[in-house]
Amino acid sequence: MANVPQPGTSASRPSSATIRELLVYARPYTRLFAGVVALVIVYNLTQVIQPYLVKVAIDRYLLIPHGRLEPLIAIGATYLGITLVGLLANLWQTRVIASAGQQVVRQLRIDLFSHIESLSMSFFESHDTGRLITNVASDTTRISQFFTQFLLSVIRDGLTIVLVMGAMFLLNWKLALLSALVIPIIVVISAIFRPRLHKIYNTTRSRQSRLIGFIAENLTGMRIIQVFHQEDKQLEAFNHLNIPFQMANVNEFRWDVFFNRSFDLLGNLAVAFMAWAGGMAVFHHTIKIGVLYAFISYIQQFFEPINSLTQNWNTLQSSMISAERISAVLATPPAIKDPPRPITPPAITGRIDFDHVSFAYERSRPILDDITCHILPGQFIGICGETGAGKSTLISLLARFYDVTSGTISIDHIDIRDVRQADLHRWVAVVQQEVNLYSGSVADNIRLFRSDVSDAQVVHAARLTGAHAFISQLPQGYNTPLTPHGSNLSAGQRQLLAFARTIVLNPSILVLDEATANLDAMSEIAVQQGLIEVAKNRTTIVIAHRLSTIRAADCIYVLDKGRIVESGTHDQLVAHHGAYAEMLQKSQLTANAEGF
Amino acid sequence: MGQRLVRRFFHKHGTEYILAILAVGVSKILQVQIPDIIGHFIDQFRRGITPHGIDRYAQDLAVISIGYVILFGFGQFTVGKLARIFEGDLRRLLFDHWEDLDADYFNQHTTGDLLSHVLNDVPAIRQALAGGINQTLQAVFLFVATLFMTIRHINLSLTVISLIPLLLIPVVVVKLGPKIRQQSRVVQESLSAMAGMTEESLQSIRLVKSAGNEGVEVRRFTERTDSVYDNSMHLVRLNTTFQALIPLLSGISFAIALVYGGALTLSHHITLGAFVAFTVYLSMLVRPLMQFGNVINIFQNSSASLLRIQVLLEAQPQITEPAEPQHLPVHGPIVFHDLTFTYPHAKTPALRHLSLTVPEGSILGIVGRTGSGKSTLTRLLVRELDPPEKAITIGGTDIRNVAKADLREAIAYVPQDGFLFSSSIGHNIAFPTPQEDPAQIRQAAQAANILATVQTMPEGFDTVVGEHGLTLSGGQRQRVAIARALIKTHARIIILDDSLSAVDSLTEQTILGALRRLHQKGRTLIITSHRLSSLRLADHIMVLEEGQIVEFGTPQELLQRQGFYAQLYAIQSQGSETHG
Repeated sequence: MANVPQPGTSASRPSSATIRELLVYARPYTRLFAGVVALVIVYNLTQVIQPYLVKVAIDRYLLIPHGRLEPLIAIGATYLGITLVGLLANLWQTRVIASAGQQVVRQLRIDLFSHIESLSMSFFESHDTGRLITNVASDTTRISQFFTQFLLSVIRDGLTIVLVMGAMFLLNWKLALLSALVIPIIVVISAIFRPRLHKIYNTTRSRQSRLIGFIAENLTGMRIIQVFHQEDKQLEAFNHLNIPFQMANVNEFRWDVFFNRSFDLLGNLAVAFMAWAGGMAVFHHTIKIGVLYAFISYIQQFFEPINSLTQNWNTLQSSMISAERISAVLATPPAIKDPPRPITPPAITGRIDFDHVSFAYERSRPILDDITCHILPGQFIGICGETGAGKSTLISLLARFYDVTSGTISIDHIDIRDVRQADLHRWVAVVQQEVNLYSGSVADNIRLFRSDVSDAQVVHAARLTGAHAFISQLPQGYNTPLTPHGSNLSAGQRQLLAFARTIVLNPSILVLDEATANLDAMSEIAVQQGLIEVAKNRTTIVIAHRLSTIRAADCIYVLDKGRIVESGTHDQLVAHHGAYAEMLQKSQLTANAEGF
Repeated sequence: MGQRLVRRFFHKHGTEYILAILAVGVSKILQVQIPDIIGHFIDQFRRGITPHGIDRYAQDLAVISIGYVILFGFGQFTVGKLARIFEGDLRRLLFDHWEDLDADYFNQHTTGDLLSHVLNDVPAIRQALAGGINQTLQAVFLFVATLFMTIRHINLSLTVISLIPLLLIPVVVVKLGPKIRQQSRVVQESLSAMAGMTEESLQSIRLVKSAGNEGVEVRRFTERTDSVYDNSMHLVRLNTTFQALIPLLSGISFAIALVYGGALTLSHHITLGAFVAFTVYLSMLVRPLMQFGNVINIFQNSSASLLRIQVLLEAQPQITEPAEPQHLPVHGPIVFHDLTFTYPHAKTPALRHLSLTVPEGSILGIVGRTGSGKSTLTRLLVRELDPPEKAITIGGTDIRNVAKADLREAIAYVPQDGFLFSSSIGHNIAFPTPQEDPAQIRQAAQAANILATVQTMPEGFDTVVGEHGLTLSGGQRQRVAIARALIKTHARIIILDDSLSAVDSLTEQTILGALRRLHQKGRTLIITSHRLSSLRLADHIMVLEEGQIVEFGTPQELLQRQGFYAQLYAIQSQGSETHG
């Protein structure tokens, strides 16, 4: 159910193309990056120098009889100074690289979000919203880890290993070679453990999310459990998820301890080994005792960077998968593009012409077939028909969510493909059955967060549609916060809000797409009264759910299987005894059935 | 209660804990031998050493390392394992407890709030029991053992003076640790605000597009990403400061040790080996000192969680079982005697002085506006809400004197929201039964007129209902909920709380047909609805307004009365529906 990010194991090798795409975003920071590398080098050098200083202290000043204190103080001061420089360098480079990484990911997020918003409706119908949210939120985070963690680790840890090796070789190349034996062992242990740990970790997470999902659902449905007194049964089901999760938790911890202690053991054994090998060298007078000390310190410095590098190999892989997903979205062009030279009429009257319009998602199955109709400015048009007759598709074409397969749709005799979509959408407003609310105040929801809509305009629109009455009843009036699920508003109130929202845009053409279908009879009456005000001076198209809604229309079109089968006023159509009359009769029959 | 749970758990696993403590203690004693051996080893060189001696030192180091790692690993794992077992037990206890609490509790607490106990508080307690105990053990043993070694084998004043800067480490951890945790929570929150805004925008993409609002949305999104950036950078600054302060303090310590220890070596107060060993001991002290700080943070964090869990476990159901439950009589009418009910935390009653007798085997229809008290009445009847004493009787027995399980067993209830579990349709229908019986499921589905629909689905009754029933239409969902109630064929009372609102007229007729057959078998039916067509079977109809009965009678009587019912009838028969 949840989009569990795929672990690195199943990933393809990171392709160089994807890496290049990512690096494009990093290009503005090239210079900064060079600075970071310099700082990393400084930091690493200080780390390597520290054991060397102690070695100098031991060999030069402590091993000789009657040594003096002054040089020791100098070494102590140098040590402190070097530590300070190293820390500052590290602090600085971490902040710089984090800032660059965060800026890159911020830009990437904005680009990605703007791109998604610019895509056409067909894209959203074929793509899961949850996936897209994952793209924007988690995939971009993972990419930022590429910059802040992976690159940093490669530079810092890689450099540490090189410098430590270098220092060892300078001191004694034979011992250095022996010490280097540790590296492949560490890599092998990591390579054995990492995928296993990763798999175990994923098992735990997926069991956890199943358990949490179960608890969330059962808390929501607790009254059902209680009313049917199935508490024992659900507790049993809970145990079936809880116990495996508990076991997975213990198992994860077991491997975690196992892995860390193995590293620990290896580190201590390396010290023992170095004591033996170095001790022999001191015995044969190949090296001094101070060098032995330095080697014992250095060999422990291998572990952390190698561990971190293997860990970051996983980061790289998951960043690459995320990058590929994001590139796929970014590479999708909008199906509907604005014309290169758009026509921009100053104002429109609201005349609409459908000329031989046909539409099909797939060639073989036409949704609309040769629709022709002419709608005059200010007319009230009703459209009815069975589910699947093509009513909503007709509106989607008018709003240019899709382009017609053949024929033309024009507004004021201008083909809608010749105007900018932004203009078209200003002219044509669609009110849908489902009202989406934003988390924000009532006023924000009416003005849709546009800064160019004044409070007065918001109130005016609410008054016109009849929403003002209930809004002023709310605890904080227009400032009352709403939530997307809007449980604090009834379906009727939400719909009135949607009307107000539409009126603020002051469209010339208003389309109601089964806008009142969800309302009970009493709420619908309130909404319909709002509608009468709103429809004044506008071309209004109403897709009807209840036939009573469109009784007063100037013209009613009856759609069937993608074609207009009848048109005329209510009275004409009733007199015609065709499809409309039949629908009308059917609906009244059921209402009056059984002595009702 | 929470603390008692922890204590009881310690008691139950006492042996394991003692073993773990012993193992960690011994392991730390072994661990502090390592620098000592290295020190002696280095001193041995000045006194003269044989290759055999070198072998022995290296062997000692290896053996001690192995012993230390095994013992420490065992101790650490045991403590961590026990904590995870406790965590699982605690989750179970919470779930079990929630199942006992009643509707009012779930009205007061959102699912999100309750989940956060499972998601945050339970793991916080686990962390105290695992990380907290483990780190305390390690820190205490290692700190004491190290100090013992340095004071006893090396030098007291060197130890004391070098230790001074290190003692600031726990202070830094306690000061900065909670700030970092707080800030990373802020970062998480701003990230989820960004994701939430994205979700909102994409879910209303049709609106965004038709209002040409893409630009505004991008602006809003940019604000969210900016706040993610600012918060993340603040976290980075805190983190880097923290990460720099610890090595700075240990660096100062080390420099002091270098100079002062060197001086002591020159003046022959300590040997060179002791000096080397001391530098190693010093680096071993950093970790436990950080752990002291961590432990303080962990325990502070978890004590708040423990308190919250305690409060939660102390919540008691308000609707209690009778001390001596009576049997629910097999026959008899449902009688409401002057029933007045006020919701807890509400000022005005939801139902006022309601008196009514529903004869056994009759059908009562209840109609009224949203908020008129229809659902309240049905919820009182299943004792999801608690009626006053003697206000509701079935066959003469106060329902408060009947065991809740008994009462609910006798009632088949279809709630208003039609909640379904995200399991298979068959599983949902069979929910009230102990075993899933395919024949029973089919029969119930048939009665609820969902059988044909289910059979057209590729996986039939095994089709999994999407989260919150999203793959089913509203009407289908209601029908599954009806089937779930009707599978209780033995139930004597059937309640439909506005459960036919989303089904079309034809389906409604079919379901009413099935209900009529149940009625003929002597079942009592209570149906509430906005839609009068759902009430056409009713023997009597009650019109509720603001918790009071305003009209009552047979449908014909009410029609003649020209009241609310007649008015609603007029609206609904005119504005009839197409239901394409």
